[in-house]
Amino acid sequence: MKQIKYISPRTKEEALEVLQQEKDRACIVAGCSNVLPNLKDKKIAPQILVDITTLESLKGIFKKEGKILLGPLTTINELISSKIILEEYPVLTQAAREFADPIVRNTATVGGNLVTASPAADLAVPLLSLDAIVKIESLGDKREVNLINFFTAPGETILNSHELVVGIEFKQSDINKNGCFMKIGQRKAMAISIATLAVNLDWKENTINQIRIAAGSVAPTPLRLTGVEEFLKNKKLNQELIEEAVIKVSKEVNPISDIRASEGYRRYISGILFKRAIERLAN
Amino acid sequence: MKKMEIEFILNGKKRKIEVKPNDLLINIIREDLYLTGTKYGCGLGECGVCTVLLNGEPVLSCLTLAITVDGKEITTIEGLAQGDELHPLQKAFLKNGAVQCGFCTPGMILTATALLRENPDATEDEIRNYMRGNLCRCTGYVQIIKAIKECTSIKNKGLTN
Repeated sequence: MKQIKYISPRTKEEALEVLQQEKDRACIVAGCSNVLPNLKDKKIAPQILVDITTLESLKGIFKKEGKILLGPLTTINELISSKIILEEYPVLTQAAREFADPIVRNTATVGGNLVTASPAADLAVPLLSLDAIVKIESLGDKREVNLINFFTAPGETILNSHELVVGIEFKQSDINKNGCFMKIGQRKAMAISIATLAVNLDWKENTINQIRIAAGSVAPTPLRLTGVEEFLKNKKLNQELIEEAVIKVSKEVNPISDIRASEGYRRYISGILFKRAIERLAN
Repeated sequence: MKKMEIEFILNGKKRKIEVKPNDLLINIIREDLYLTGTKYGCGLGECGVCTVLLNGEPVLSCLTLAITVDGKEITTIEGLAQGDELHPLQKAFLKNGAVQCGFCTPGMILTATALLRENPDATEDEIRNYMRGNLCRCTGYVQIIKAIKECTSIKNKGLTN
């Protein structure tokens, strides 16, 4: 067996130094629910495991100046039990409740779900719909990227091997308060999504001021349906408009056929999920 | 591969052991500490049979690096009984025929222990929801849920049974 080293940095700076030095040879571990199966299947072969679970500064849910900052090490169960997330960003609570099962949720982290970049990442979809920003740091440098531009391909992101996600931030706003998440899987627990969809809506007197629609498992990466968003903006919300938008949703997603569902079904069900979500938000 | 020493509390006793960085907690528990009550199922986080309690919370020991439990507290199925006196959940599982092949039972009972500590008044829906990650291929779950329900608080029993 190949040699693997292990390091548990005591500070963020120390972690960044290790990443700078080791680059591709390093693999960050936290919740381990993706890394360990990948190690076992030899999909990854790191030389050093960098265990960041001891970095307290990357944990927790913080409210500040009209924004929320999620530490990337926040576990899914911590999200579920957060009152402020439930009240101000319900789309995220709804998605977290559908995430894997309660045992996995004790260790799986928000940051891990994003950097794994599965097309079926259940938390990426509500975070896209909340217009989240990913805060990234490397030794002596930092940058922010909108989640829309974070994913590049299945399992791939814009993150370089010496960089670390240090936070996920989104604004406190009317639109973020009014959200709905929908998931289709084969069963209630532990189902990898066939399709997921999140909608956040800001509307007044039946007119849509702003709408965000995000979808998962229906394209190479989780994505925002900006075409449909543009189409719906400033329009009067009625049944006719919804039906038109349903067709546009089915066209804008870009799914494949795989073991879980066909392309055709995924297109169809994405439209249906959108319809269910918008009707729930509008009622 | 270089081994590192970790120290943790296993079922109330302090244990010191040398582990490799990529050793899984389940392998250390079963093969180095000879506690074979914890089972190895899918190895992927799908089935829940390897569940142990880490600082009181259920986690999957097949998806936990042993090295990360340094300084923490682990409870396995062997740690629930007090001497010869079985834990109430163990008794309830026996009484209700909630054990058939028995492979899922250790994980089921540990997850249920955590559930009842968090929510002693759990309703049937809450029990089913919490136990979602523990799969059983024999019983059809009915007896398992019944056994757990029997261990909820007296107040709750009066309301739902």
